[in-house]
Amino acid sequence: MDIKIDSKICKAEYGEYLLQVAGRNNIYIPTLCHSDALPGQASCRICIVEVIENGSSKVVTSCVFPITKEIEVITNSEKINRMRRTLLMLLSMRVSNNEALNRLMVEYSVPAINRFTLDMNEKCILCGLCVKACEEVGQYAISTVSRGITKKVSTPYQEPSISCIGCGACASVCPTGAIDILEEGSKRLIWNKTFELMQCTRCGEYFATKEQLDYINERLGYETEVLLCEKCKKNAVSESLKNIVQNL
Amino acid sequence: MRTGRKKTILVCCGTGCLANNSYHIYMKLKNLTAEAGIDAEVKPIIKSTGCNGFCEKGPIVKIIPDDISYYRVKLQDADEIFEKSVLRDEVIDRLLYKDMSTGNRVKSQKDNEFYRKQMKLALRNIGEVDPANIDDYLERDGYKAFRKVFFEMTPQEVIKEIEKSGLRGRGGAGFPTGLKWKQCASYDSFPKYVVCNGDEGDPGAFMDRSIMEGDPNTVIEGMLICGYAIGANHGFIYIRDEYSLAIKNISVAIDAAKKRGFLGENILGSGIDFDLQIVRGGGAFVCGESTALMSSIEGKVGEPRAKYIRSVEKGLWGQPTILNNVETWANIPLIIIKGGEWFSSIGTKNSTGTKVFSLVGKVKNTGLVEVPMGITLKELIYEIGGGVIGNKKFKAVQSGGPSGGCIPESLLDMQVDFDTLKESGSMMGSGGMIVMDERTCMVEVAKYYVNFLSEESCGKCTPCREGLKRMLEILNDICKGHGQPGDIEMLEEICDTLSETALCGLGKTAPNPVISTIRHFRNEYEAHIFDKKCPAGICKELTKYFIDRDLCTGCGLCKRNCPANAISGNAKSAHTLDLEKCIKCGNCKDTCRFGAVKVE
Repeated sequence: MDIKIDSKICKAEYGEYLLQVAGRNNIYIPTLCHSDALPGQASCRICIVEVIENGSSKVVTSCVFPITKEIEVITNSEKINRMRRTLLMLLSMRVSNNEALNRLMVEYSVPAINRFTLDMNEKCILCGLCVKACEEVGQYAISTVSRGITKKVSTPYQEPSISCIGCGACASVCPTGAIDILEEGSKRLIWNKTFELMQCTRCGEYFATKEQLDYINERLGYETEVLLCEKCKKNAVSESLKNIVQNL
Repeated sequence: MRTGRKKTILVCCGTGCLANNSYHIYMKLKNLTAEAGIDAEVKPIIKSTGCNGFCEKGPIVKIIPDDISYYRVKLQDADEIFEKSVLRDEVIDRLLYKDMSTGNRVKSQKDNEFYRKQMKLALRNIGEVDPANIDDYLERDGYKAFRKVFFEMTPQEVIKEIEKSGLRGRGGAGFPTGLKWKQCASYDSFPKYVVCNGDEGDPGAFMDRSIMEGDPNTVIEGMLICGYAIGANHGFIYIRDEYSLAIKNISVAIDAAKKRGFLGENILGSGIDFDLQIVRGGGAFVCGESTALMSSIEGKVGEPRAKYIRSVEKGLWGQPTILNNVETWANIPLIIIKGGEWFSSIGTKNSTGTKVFSLVGKVKNTGLVEVPMGITLKELIYEIGGGVIGNKKFKAVQSGGPSGGCIPESLLDMQVDFDTLKESGSMMGSGGMIVMDERTCMVEVAKYYVNFLSEESCGKCTPCREGLKRMLEILNDICKGHGQPGDIEMLEEICDTLSETALCGLGKTAPNPVISTIRHFRNEYEAHIFDKKCPAGICKELTKYFIDRDLCTGCGLCKRNCPANAISGNAKSAHTLDLEKCIKCGNCKDTCRFGAVKVE
């Protein structure tokens, strides 16, 4: 079906999310809690847009708003921009001096406000992507805990989690760099848990935790004899491709 | 001689009365009954019942058929009650209700001003039946509606009847129940689920608790009827874990219903299966929100989800689900028996039937009241509630729970129904009514609710979590005298964004306490911010008490009630207050009968 986004006609499938359709059509909607690899979080609310249906407009969250009929969408009305400014202001009171956030603050000309006590140490905007990523990996090592203004992301009882395989998927999806991974030699420290890293059989670089590799093997159902880091794996693939072509 | 005459003694064993020793009264009367033996002239039956609603005057003991109601009964009254009112037909005057306006003692509950204007539909059996005894419920037409539905009506006819009744969800939002059922029935995806929301969490509200404790069978019957109408075979009753008596009574009722063949497989040979299961909530307020509740049943974190696809289409485990509140379920059997048309003749055009309110706060008669929709706030507070305690001046009534709003005196003639309440900036919510008198600071009230919500919000989305945190910061500052120019505007800005962009109903309505108090009591905010004064004399940092020497008669009442010994003065001469010692508790102001204690 056809939907109209900022007066551009866009093709959409029934049930597709609005943010997805806009992205495909090069229409920019700002987000802080979206990853193409994961389902919509709907937590930062920056991706709000106005949907006009039967003459009346409503504010919806584009990352989880499914297209079910032909609608008209406005992504940057004065109302939407005003609300985005307030949301960004609120987030910046929680996480001050964050690159991703600052970029949006400049883009939306969010005025400086000195009314509130800032939390200087907080980096997390509680978007929930890390929890979702861990869930998708299949480990459920971290979750949001508590609720209301004391909500945070944590392992159970803040203890090192038995489920954590140290893969770092959580840190790689984090939009604000709030999850620390410390690596020193053959050790990796994440979520208060220390992991032994394995070496690449080819280049000798420490690249993945033993737990992570075991888990991959378990999921694959067979064990790989050579351990290759991302870089060497790429090289190995291109080499074997080269061989095939040369032998033709 | 009227040998073998039957009398029933009903002892209220709702949570309020139990807390006041009613269980021991019940046991004592039970022993007396057993001791009296079978040869006695009167054959008494004793029952423990659910909550009568008038908790403030509990424990309550009723005797039928004499229609005597005794209030504030003590254990030592049991012998006398048994001797005089059970074995003989005498009435004990001092235990009867004393009418506030006339001072007369009232024998029957029906003539009591607290009950006179009430109309008990959802609460019809409470205080009349023993919740643990399914036969009691059956005697009062219980499970009759379910039989009628299962054996005489098609699912479409059931839905039509509910639609005709105009019943709207009693949990808060007021969505038309019939329409919800109709939509759910239209989806051809199985299994479907029926859910009862018993996660009542509003401070001061206890209507759902009272129904689950006092008449659990009506909830089960309502859900059974829905299961039949939409084609569901399984239901969940989600009860907050703090409600232990409700959990107990509902599970007893489920077991009894199973034994009678009302629940389980092939119900009464109809070929239809329907089973119920209790899920105990963990005490998070947000789990009263329908999608968070479903998430909690699924074993996930209790966070709401966007409702662009409604639960009637994709609810529990992605399947079509009907979720209704306890009070809504309690109305269903009655609508089936008496007809949708009958139900819609009660109340107003768009808000049919009755609503149960928990009338609490600074009002003389507190408790659960069920009244037809459309009653005015004035009738509710002054006629049923008996007016403000201590004849102080009424200031506002807060309705709809933490996300509701404060309604000022100028709107007291307002009708109580879904739409009018919403227009006033408040909402129906689950039916809390907290009456506030002149000694209430409206900024402090807003602060109280924002504090509650900031702790009880799920914390998932930015506007709710961060917005409430910053609103609380501003309100704390204002109450401490650190309010700044621009604070009201900042509150309004956050409220505006929060109400538009929050993920769920809780977040969208969370600004109501702030918006409604700014709207109706803006001058109080301004007094705090600009004059650094709290007009009600509640915010300690902004309050100074003094005694007006011209009005003080030197009665000494304030002096005796001052916990800090801050008041001095000789009898019959004007007293003085030492500000150094004063802890600003306000006892002096509350006790002075001459209005001599004032707030500077």
